[in-house]
Amino acid sequence: MENLLSIFSVVFLSQVFRMFTPYFFGAIGGAYSERGGVINIAIEGFLISSAFSFAVVNIFTGSIILSFIIAMLVNAVLSILFAIFTVKLKTDHIVTGVGFNLLIAGLADFLIAYFFKTSSNTPRFEEIPTIEVLSFLPFLSDPLIIVAFATVPLSAFVFFKTRFGLRLRSVGENPQAAESLGVKVRFYKIAGVVLCGIITSFGGIWLASYQNTYSQGMTAGRGYIALAAMIIGKWKPVNIFFVCLMFAFFEALEIKLQIIGSFIPSQFIQSLPYIVTILVLIGFIGKTRPPAADGVPY
Amino acid sequence: MIPAIEFKNITKQFGNLKANDNVSFAIRKNSVHCILGENGAGKSTLMKILYGAYQPDSGKLFVDGKQQNFHTPHDAINAGVAMVWQHFMLIDDFSVLENVILGNEPISGIKIDFKTAQKKINDVITKFNLGLNPDDKVEKLSIAEQQKVELLKILYRKPSIIIFDEPTAVLSPVEVDEFFNIITKLKDSGNTIILITHKLREVIQIAERVTVLRQGKKVYEAEATEIDEDILGKEIVGDSSFEIASETKLETDGEKKVAILEKAGLSSGGYSKLNDINLVLRAGEISGICGVEGNGQNEIVDILLQLLSVENGTAELNYSSVSVVPDDRIKKGMISEYTIGENVITRKMGFEIALKAKLKKLSEILIKSYDIRTPDYFTPMGNLSGGNQQKAIVAREIENQSELIIFSHPTRGVDLKSSLFIHDEIIHVRNSGRAVLLVSSDLDELFKLSDRLIVLYNGQTVKEYEPLELKSRLKDAESFTVEVGKLMVGAGIE
Repeated sequence: MENLLSIFSVVFLSQVFRMFTPYFFGAIGGAYSERGGVINIAIEGFLISSAFSFAVVNIFTGSIILSFIIAMLVNAVLSILFAIFTVKLKTDHIVTGVGFNLLIAGLADFLIAYFFKTSSNTPRFEEIPTIEVLSFLPFLSDPLIIVAFATVPLSAFVFFKTRFGLRLRSVGENPQAAESLGVKVRFYKIAGVVLCGIITSFGGIWLASYQNTYSQGMTAGRGYIALAAMIIGKWKPVNIFFVCLMFAFFEALEIKLQIIGSFIPSQFIQSLPYIVTILVLIGFIGKTRPPAADGVPY
Repeated sequence: MIPAIEFKNITKQFGNLKANDNVSFAIRKNSVHCILGENGAGKSTLMKILYGAYQPDSGKLFVDGKQQNFHTPHDAINAGVAMVWQHFMLIDDFSVLENVILGNEPISGIKIDFKTAQKKINDVITKFNLGLNPDDKVEKLSIAEQQKVELLKILYRKPSIIIFDEPTAVLSPVEVDEFFNIITKLKDSGNTIILITHKLREVIQIAERVTVLRQGKKVYEAEATEIDEDILGKEIVGDSSFEIASETKLETDGEKKVAILEKAGLSSGGYSKLNDINLVLRAGEISGICGVEGNGQNEIVDILLQLLSVENGTAELNYSSVSVVPDDRIKKGMISEYTIGENVITRKMGFEIALKAKLKKLSEILIKSYDIRTPDYFTPMGNLSGGNQQKAIVAREIENQSELIIFSHPTRGVDLKSSLFIHDEIIHVRNSGRAVLLVSSDLDELFKLSDRLIVLYNGQTVKEYEPLELKSRLKDAESFTVEVGKLMVGAGIE
C-alpha cells in the first residue's frame, strides 16, 4: 500500500503530463477540424509527419527552432492536401483519413531507411530545452506543456466568442444555413482542417523531442485515442483537457505499476481508460452529440 | 412610381423543362403580393432568381428600378432582398442569438460584441412582438417559434423586400393570425412583402395583388378586390375539373368502436402532456382532431400506434392493424434514398424478397391508381416533389388495409390538386368502413372531412362535436370557425 501511495509523486505527475501532451494536441486539433464538419482521423498521420520532420530537420541542422517551424509547415501542407480532398473534391472523410495515415506512416518508414540506412529509429538529437525561470515547477517548465495549457482557454474563446468560431461551428452544423447568410463555407472548413494539422504538429514534435529520437511506430495509435478523447470531451476544449488528463493518468499509472510490481494486475489499470470511454459512449456520463454535419461533404 | 421589383421576360430552363417561360410582372412598393401556383409551376424558381440562387437564361430583373444580376444570395441580401425559407435554415445547436447574427456579427476588438447583438435583437423582438428569448437554443423551440427565428434573422438585416415561401404551411390558425399581424406590421414599416402560398383563403385575407403561375408561365394577375376562391382555384389548376371537393358524407352507423381512450393521461420529462383525453374512434367515421400544435396531438397518435402507453385512465385499442400517414413525411414517412416500391415493401411486416419485377409491379399499381408523378419506377422518393411523396405515402398506408388509419397533417405543404386527391382518398377509406383519425391544423380540411370533431387544448379534449351537431353547425362555417378557434386557444374553458 505504501508502494502504491508513493506513486503519486512529482515524478509521476511529470510522467502524466508527458503522456497528456500528444493526446491533448491531437484531440484539440481534431476539435477544430470537426467543429468545421470535417472528420479527421488523419490525426495519427499528422502526429507521425510532425514527429518525423522535427527529428530529421533537427538532426541535419541542429536548430530546434528551424525544425519546429518545418514540422509545423509540413503539417500545414499535408492538411491543406487533406482539405483539398475532403472539402474541394468531397471525398469520404474516413477513407481519405485512412489513406493519409497509411501514406504518411509508409513514407516515414521509407525516409528513415533512405536518410539513415536503418529501419527502426533515427540517431538521437537534442530535445526542446525547458524554460529555466520556471525550472522549480517540474512539469510546467516545458514550453509545449505551457502551450497546451494556454490552448484550452484560447480555443474555448475562439470557438465560442469570436466571429471565426461562430462561423466555423456553423459550417459544421448546417453548411446550407451558413451559406445562405453569406458565410464562405469552404474557407472555414479548410481553415479548421489546417488549424488541426498545425496544432496536432505540437503533439508530434513533443513525442520526438522528449524521446530524443524518431522511432518507427512511436505514435502507437495516439491519434486515435486523441479522437476518442475529443468525442468524450464533446468537442469542448475544457472537457477535452480533462479527458486527455484522465487517459494520461491511467497510462502513467499502468507504467508505474509495471515497474514497482503491484497486486493489481497492470492489465486492469491499462483497461481503465477504455472502460471509462465505453461508459461515456453508452451515455453514462451524458450524451455526446457531434456537429450535425460532421463528416458530410459539402 | 417605380416598382419594388420588376421581372421582365424571365426565362429559365432546366434540361427540357421550362421552369420559367417569359415571365413578366411587377411588384408594387410597400405592398403584399401573393404568388400562387401548384408545385412545379415555377414559383420557387422565380424566387430563387430574385434571391440570387439561380441566374435567368434570359430576361431582366429590376430591383427599385435598377437592373440587377444577383450571383449569390449574399448579393441579394446586400440589395435589400431577403428570403424566409419554407424549410428552415437554422442551426439547432446554436442559440437564437447565434443563429441571428451569423454572417453579420457585430465585433468589438477580436470578439463578438454579444451585448450590442443582444440589444439589437431584443429591439426587433419587441417591435414585432415575436416573444422569443435570444438565449434559448433553437432545438428546444416549437416549429412556430423556429419560424419566428427565421423571420428575426431577416429583420435583423433590415431588408426592404421580404419573400416568404409557404410561411403558413406549418402554422395553426391562431399562429397564422399572429403571423399576419407581423406581416401587417412589416408593411406598415415600409417593407414590400412577397408571399408564396397554396392557401387561397389566406390570399384573399392578406394579399393586395395576386399573380398566378402555371407550368412556368404567368397566367393571371389581379388586384385582391377582383378575386375570389373560385377564380383563383381555376387559374391555378388550369382545367375546369376544379371544385371544392365532395362534401357528401355517409350516414354512419358508428357502432364498432375500434379505440376508446377514457380520461387518458400521460406525462413526459416532468411535464403533463395529456390529461383527461376522451376519444372514441369508430369504424366508418372520420374523427378530426383540431388544436394548436403541441397540445397533445402527437401523443394521442403515439398512443394509438402503441409507441406510448397511458399512465392514467384507460386506453382500449380494439383494432388488429393500424396505418399512419405521419406529420413529417421526410423524417417519419419514407426513406428518401429508396424507390416507391422499396418504400412499400419496407413497410410490410414479415419476410419479403425485393425482386426487381415485384418492386416494379408494386409501384406500378400505386403510381397508376394514385396518380403519382415520377420519371420512372426507380427514382428515389427523395427526388419526387412534396405532393407526390405524400401521395405515395398515402397510397402505401391505404393499401395496407388497416382497420384504423391515422392521417396526421396529410396535406401540409402539398399543392391544391394533390390535396384534393388525398381528401378524396380519405373519404374512400372512410366509406370502405374503416376508422379514420385526422389530425390537422388546417380548419378547412378538418371541417370538410370530419364526421366528428374533437378540440384539443393543453392535453385535454375540451369539446367534442357529434356528427349531427357538426353538420348543422357547419352550415354557418364562419361563426363556427370563430368558436372552434376560441376553444383551441383555451378561451371559454373553466
